[in-house]
Amino acid sequence: MDSILLGFTTLMDPGVLGFMLIGIVAGLIVGSIPGLNDNIAFAIFIPLSFSLSPTYALALMVGLYCATAVGGAIPAIMVKVPGTASAILTAVDGHAMARNGRAGQALGIAISSSVFGGFLSGLVLLFFAPPMAAFALRFGYVENFSLGILGMASVIGLLGGSVVKGLISAVFGLLVATIGFSQQSGYPRFTYGLDNLYEGVPFVPLLVGLFGITAVLELTEELVHDRRKGIKTADMPRITDSLLPSWSMMKRLMPTWLQCSAIGNIIGIIPGAGMLMAIYMGYERSSRRYKRLYEGKPGEVEWGKGAPEGIAAPESANNAVVASSMVPLLSLGIPGNSVSALFIGALMIQGMVPGPLLFMDHPDIAWMIIVGFLAANIVMGPIAFLLVRSISGLVFLLPKHVLVPTIALLCLTGAYSDENSVFSIVIALISGTVGYAFRKLDIPHAPLILALVLGRTIEDNLSNTLSISGGDWMIFIDPVGHPISVALMVGAVLFMVGPMISGARKRLQARRQQTEMELQNS
Amino acid sequence: MCKTVFGKGIVAALLGVALVSSPVFAADYPSKDVRIIVPFKPGGGVDTTSRILAEYGNKHMKNAKLVVENRAGGGGIVGQTFAAKAKPNGYTVLAMTSSVVTNPVLKETEYKISDFRPVALYNMDPEVIVVGAASPFKTIADLVKDAKVSPLSVTVAGIATSHHMAGLALEDSAGLKFTYVPTKGFGGQLQAVMGGHVQVALFPLGEIKKHADAGSVRILAVAADKRMAILPDVPTWQESGLNIKRWTTFRGWAVPKGTPDAAVAYLSDLLGKVSVDEGYIKQMTDYGYPIAYEDAKGFAEVVSDYADLTDKVIKKHGLKGK
Repeated sequence: MDSILLGFTTLMDPGVLGFMLIGIVAGLIVGSIPGLNDNIAFAIFIPLSFSLSPTYALALMVGLYCATAVGGAIPAIMVKVPGTASAILTAVDGHAMARNGRAGQALGIAISSSVFGGFLSGLVLLFFAPPMAAFALRFGYVENFSLGILGMASVIGLLGGSVVKGLISAVFGLLVATIGFSQQSGYPRFTYGLDNLYEGVPFVPLLVGLFGITAVLELTEELVHDRRKGIKTADMPRITDSLLPSWSMMKRLMPTWLQCSAIGNIIGIIPGAGMLMAIYMGYERSSRRYKRLYEGKPGEVEWGKGAPEGIAAPESANNAVVASSMVPLLSLGIPGNSVSALFIGALMIQGMVPGPLLFMDHPDIAWMIIVGFLAANIVMGPIAFLLVRSISGLVFLLPKHVLVPTIALLCLTGAYSDENSVFSIVIALISGTVGYAFRKLDIPHAPLILALVLGRTIEDNLSNTLSISGGDWMIFIDPVGHPISVALMVGAVLFMVGPMISGARKRLQARRQQTEMELQNS
Repeated sequence: MCKTVFGKGIVAALLGVALVSSPVFAADYPSKDVRIIVPFKPGGGVDTTSRILAEYGNKHMKNAKLVVENRAGGGGIVGQTFAAKAKPNGYTVLAMTSSVVTNPVLKETEYKISDFRPVALYNMDPEVIVVGAASPFKTIADLVKDAKVSPLSVTVAGIATSHHMAGLALEDSAGLKFTYVPTKGFGGQLQAVMGGHVQVALFPLGEIKKHADAGSVRILAVAADKRMAILPDVPTWQESGLNIKRWTTFRGWAVPKGTPDAAVAYLSDLLGKVSVDEGYIKQMTDYGYPIAYEDAKGFAEVVSDYADLTDKVIKKHGLKGK
C-alpha cells in the first residue's frame, strides 16, 4: 500500500500529470489520424525523451499508449478508415451505426468500452501483476504454438459467407508471413535480394496499406461513381445524437465488456500474443452471443450492420491489452508486445531496465507507471468526449474530395516514418491495392490479418518446440508437461467444430421443416 | 553558341569543385553537423549508446554537432549499406557493430567490410553463459559435465548471429553439445530461460547484467580475457576450461572508405576524449555497457581478430548462405 501511495504522489506532481495529459491528447490525435499509430508515435518520441526527466517521459508514454487505441476508433466510426490497427473491426459496426444517424452513440459506446477495458486492465496490473506474471512465464514454445492455433481457429467463426474465400485469405496471409529470413536456418526466403524484406514484409506499412489505403480506394470509388452518375455525394455522417450511452445500454453491454476485457487481459499478459488476436477473439465470441440473443428481434440490426456489441467488443478488448501487456514487462522485464517493448527503449534511454530491479532501484517510477495506467484511463474518458465533440466534429465536416486525399497522404507519411524508407511507401501501396482487390472479390480481410500476425509465431514456435522435443509432436497434447497447451488445443478444436455443428443443426432443422410442410401439403 | 559556352562553363565549374573538394580537406572540419547512422530503430543498445556518445561528444565540438539518425531495416543491413555508400567526407559515421563484419560473409550485402574505415571502438560486450534462477546448474562445471553427455537446449538471439557462433565455437573448443533455439531479440530469450523452457542462454553481458543483479538468472561464465570488476565471482571461459580466450561483440564508429585521414583522426580523438569523461563513464556503467576505447588502429585489429574467429566458425559449420 505504501508503494502504491508512493506511485500516486509521484504522479500527482503537476509536471508529471501535465505530461500525462499531453500524452493522452497526443495519443487521441495520433490514433485518430489514419496511418499514424502508437508504434510510430513512440519511435518518434523516444529520441526526444532523452532530454526529459524520466517521470515526465514515462507519464507521457503511458498516456499515449492508453489513448491511441481510443483515437483509432474515431475515424473508424466516422469514415470507416481505422485510425490504428486496433480499430479494424470497430469500423464495421461502428460506421454502419454512424450511417444510421447514430454516430454519437457509436462513438460513445467506443469510448466507454475503451475506458472500461482499460480501467480493468489497469486494476489487473495494480493488484495481480505477480501471479499473472508467473502465469505468463509458463508460456513456452509449446504453449505459444497452441495459442497461435487457437487464434487461427477463431477465424472460422468469423467467416460469414464462403469458407473457400476465407481459406484463400488465410493461406495468402500465411504465405506472405513466410517472406523474410527463416528463424530456424538464418537464411532469407523469398526476399529476391531486397534487404528491406530481410526481416519480413515491414508490418506497420503493411497494415497501414491494408486498412488505410484500401479504405481510401473504396472512398475514391464512391466519389468517382457518384460524379459519373451525377449524384450528389452523400455527406459523411455527423454527430447529431447524444454521445453518452444510456444506462440501459451500459447494462446491456456489461456482459460483452466483461468477457472481452477478460480475453484482452489474458492475451495481453502472454508475451508475444498481441492486441489483434485479442480483438478478433473477443469479436468472435460477441458475434455468437449477439446472434443468439438479439439478432432478428424487433429493433435489432443484423450483426455487422451497426450492432452496439460489434463496437463494444473490439474496443474493450483492445484497451484491456494495454496495461496488462505491461505485466510481464514490469514484473519480469519481458516485453509483452511490440509497444511495451518500446517502453524498454524509453526506460533504457533513461538508464533503467524494466524488471524486478526497477522496483528496488526506482520504486517511485515503477509504481508511477502502474498507477498512471489507472489514472490515464479515468482521465481519458472525458477528454475523449470533449475532443470528439470539438475537433473531430469539425474535421469530418471537410468535403470528401478534400478528406480522402488527406487521409491517403497521412497513411503514406505514416508508412514512410516507420523505417524512414520509401520502400515502406511501396509496401503500403501494394498491400492497399491487394486489400481493395480482396474487397471487390468479397474475400474477407480478417483471416488475412490474423494469418499475417500469427504466421511467424506459429512457425517459429513449432520449429523451436520440435527441436527441443527431438521431433516429438505429442508434446502439444501432453497433459502432464504442458496442460495449458492441451487446454488451448481443445479450445481450438471447439472453435473449429462449433460453427460446423451449429451449421449442420440449422440445415437439419430446415430440412425437417421442409418435410413437415410437404407432409401437411400432401 | 551561347549555350555551349554556358555548358563549358558548367563543366569547368564542376571540375573545379571536384578538384578543390577531393584532395584538399577543409581545415575547419567539422564545419557542419556529423550524422551518426544507427541502423536500428530507436531504443536499442546501439541507439542508446550512440545518443550518450553524441551528448558527451558535443561538449567538445564547437561549430557542429553529432546528430543520431536511425535507418532501420533488414537486420541492420539497410542502414549499413546506406553508410557504406555515403560520401566519404567525414560527415557520415556508421554506428558499427560486429554484424558489419559477418553480414557480408553470411548474407548478400551490397557492401564489403573493406568499404569501411574503422574510426574507434567505445564498447565491448563479452558473451556470457546464463541459466535461469531455478536451474540445477549451479556452476559452469555442472553445466559442462552435462553438456558433454547429451545436448543442452540453448537459446540464442538468432541463427548465424555472433551469439549463435559463440555456441558453435564452444562445441568446437570444449566438446560441448548444444541444440539451438533461436529467438527474435533478447526479450524472447529471457522469457525462455526464466520460464525453464530452455536450459541455457547465450547473451551479451550488457543485455542480461541487470536481470542477473535482480536474481532472475545466473551468469555462469564470461568470455572476457580476465575476470571483470563488475562480476568478480564469475569465472572466465578460459578459467572454466572452455578454451576460448575472448568472445565479444563490439560497438564503435566507422566511416566510408576514402574518408580523409584528418577526419578519421578528429573523430577518433573525439571518442578518446569522451571515453575519459567522468559523466560518460558513469552513465555507460549505470546502463550496463562496459567501457572500452581503441583508436582507429586498435579498432582495426579488433575487427580483423573478430573476422578471423568468426570465419573459422562460419566455414566449419557451413553457415554461409550464398
